[in-house]
Amino acid sequence: MKRKKMSAKARREAVYGLIFIMPTIIGLLILNYYPIFETVYQSFCETGDFGKGNTFVGLANYITLFHDSEVFSTLFNSVKYAVLSLPLTVCLSLVLAVLLNRKMRLRGLYRTIYFLPMVCAPAAIAMVWKWMFNQDYGLLNHILNTKISWVTDPANAMIAIVVVGVWSSIGNNMILLLGGLQDIPKDYYEAASVDGSTGVHSFFHITIPLLSPMIFFIVQTGIMGALQLFDLPFMIMDKSSRAWPSVKTITYLFYEYAFERSDRGYGAAIIMLLICIISIITFILQKTEKKWVHYD
Amino acid sequence: MKKKLIAMTLALLMVLSLAACGGSSGSADNNTGTSDTAASEGSKGTISVAIWDENQRPGLESIAAEWTEQSGYDVEFTVPGWDGYWTMLEAGVSGGEMPDVFWMHSNNAEKYMASGVLLNLDDYIAADDTMNLSNYFEGVTNLYTHEDAHYAIPKDHDTIAVVYNKAIFDKYGVAYPTNDWTWEDFAAIAQEISDKGAADGVYGTYCNTGSNQDTWYNIIYSYGGEVINADKTASGYDEPATLEAMNFIAQKILPACPSPDSMASTGGDTMFLSGLLGMVCQGSWTVSNYANADNASDYAWVMLPYADVNGNGTCDEGERCSIYNGLGWSIYADTKEPDAAYSLISYLGSQKAQMEQSELGVTMAGYIGCSEPFADAFGEMDVSAFVDIEEQGTLVFRPYSKTTAIWESDASQALVEAWSAPEKMTEVAQNIAAAMNETLAKENK
Repeated sequence: MKRKKMSAKARREAVYGLIFIMPTIIGLLILNYYPIFETVYQSFCETGDFGKGNTFVGLANYITLFHDSEVFSTLFNSVKYAVLSLPLTVCLSLVLAVLLNRKMRLRGLYRTIYFLPMVCAPAAIAMVWKWMFNQDYGLLNHILNTKISWVTDPANAMIAIVVVGVWSSIGNNMILLLGGLQDIPKDYYEAASVDGSTGVHSFFHITIPLLSPMIFFIVQTGIMGALQLFDLPFMIMDKSSRAWPSVKTITYLFYEYAFERSDRGYGAAIIMLLICIISIITFILQKTEKKWVHYD
Repeated sequence: MKKKLIAMTLALLMVLSLAACGGSSGSADNNTGTSDTAASEGSKGTISVAIWDENQRPGLESIAAEWTEQSGYDVEFTVPGWDGYWTMLEAGVSGGEMPDVFWMHSNNAEKYMASGVLLNLDDYIAADDTMNLSNYFEGVTNLYTHEDAHYAIPKDHDTIAVVYNKAIFDKYGVAYPTNDWTWEDFAAIAQEISDKGAADGVYGTYCNTGSNQDTWYNIIYSYGGEVINADKTASGYDEPATLEAMNFIAQKILPACPSPDSMASTGGDTMFLSGLLGMVCQGSWTVSNYANADNASDYAWVMLPYADVNGNGTCDEGERCSIYNGLGWSIYADTKEPDAAYSLISYLGSQKAQMEQSELGVTMAGYIGCSEPFADAFGEMDVSAFVDIEEQGTLVFRPYSKTTAIWESDASQALVEAWSAPEKMTEVAQNIAAAMNETLAKENK
């Protein structure tokens, strides 16, 4: 790009532009950036009540952190959720997007149905699923005529949470992928079919490569979202359940220390660990991006 | 066009149905409305009051209106619900926007008193002829005392009783419980109902790991055990009497309850109100749930059982224990109207107002001897079991220390294991004691 001196008009436009985005910038600074630095600072402190009387304790919180087995077990749960839910979400929403990209009857209806979970409040979704999963009075066991402990048996609980998580995030990802699909020119498919390519072959050799930027975006945001999982286990499970330790996530552990045990410093240290992990994963993804993402 | 219409209708239906689900759970505590009581002309000012329980608002407003008449100040109530309440205060302290008068609770009292957020009431109490703190329940007064200074006027106290479903007792031919019963009787009755009701999915009683204040704390103290020692330096979970009580729960009470998995997914009140439990221990703060329920006429209350520790067949001193707790009225330290605010809480704590609070069925009184009218405040439903235990039993203040929130939730978490494997109860209780002693050691450092 060539740098040109701005004309008076362009400069005026730039100023107006800045004025228009000012509310967002101010919001970001006050609501996002200030708390980030405050969190970093607090992670080195033993915090007092009501934000007063913080005493600097150096790395003490971090030393405790690395000796706390619960940090690692909850981190493992978060990772487990990400590993189980992400491939399912991506595959299912990809298949759905491809199916719903064809000309078919009631296409709009289907698209709406799959997108509906997105317009519902996550807490409301969790409450409805909680009752469907209920062992004694739930809809699932009633229909299946079983007595399965969907969310109270440590062996099933995480699967149940994954099901709800996948169900509620498919719609949004499907819409994103649909958008990507519609950008792929029809010519490629026509040319391929002239050369004898079947539908499945075209899917793997045309659709997926051309969709890879969108898939990359979904994977990246999906990992971040999955590692920050908080609301589903919190709403669906009860802490008196023996399955609770197997679904308690690291963000819940943070919540427990910061808000229930009023130990904000340690809570901040826990969340710093999570931020580091997410940053490293994002960094690796960005570095390997060129290897499998095709932009053209 | 048609497709869009279908889509829109579907979306609307979904949103509406979810809104309806959310509504039923939210209506109880999401009421953030404010209202003025008797806004008199030419008022001298307004005292803002924050509470978290919508059920208590109408009664308290009418009592506050009497004070408005004599003082000339308006009173404005805010009711943000339990969670919103503490968030509001927490943010209010940092931002300086606080209600003048608000409730204090045992979970948070220590933190608020130690941080200087609450007004020290000592001088006001000394200058007030009508105020004598010895008229109130000692446990509640002590709770709001920090380094010998008083920070709240006791508002109420609560006790525990057993609610039972007469329809279930009739159906299975089990005699109604009477006040003369032991925890062994309680367990036997519960077991009988569970056995006979097995085919219908009906259970005798309910006791989850978190049912401490309303269920198993009472059993521990009735057996002569304790949760924390008197000077709050050591856990009582490893004392022989506590272990005996906990093992009694594991071996006699839990078998008569729904499975731990069921209890972890459905609350005891929900199951009881759905006609699936014979009886359940509940606190006096829950009475309105049962009095206003669809099947209220099936429900009746009976006093908590006693533990016949000395084996003489009668209830002796200290064998029938109910945990009690109480809220306090406190004042923001930097309020602009400290005198008027104190005058309000002094009025709310007066014998007359405390009597009225019971009559209106708001809660039982913090003032000793003012709770009798509460027994008759719910029309057909006799709730004298909550009041009678003051005379016929021993009230034990809910065990607490500065770090209650930590050791109490640790204990509930640890007990999950014992609930699934009752034979491990002794071992689990000893582990709880060890962890709790560690927490207490840090607290007293």
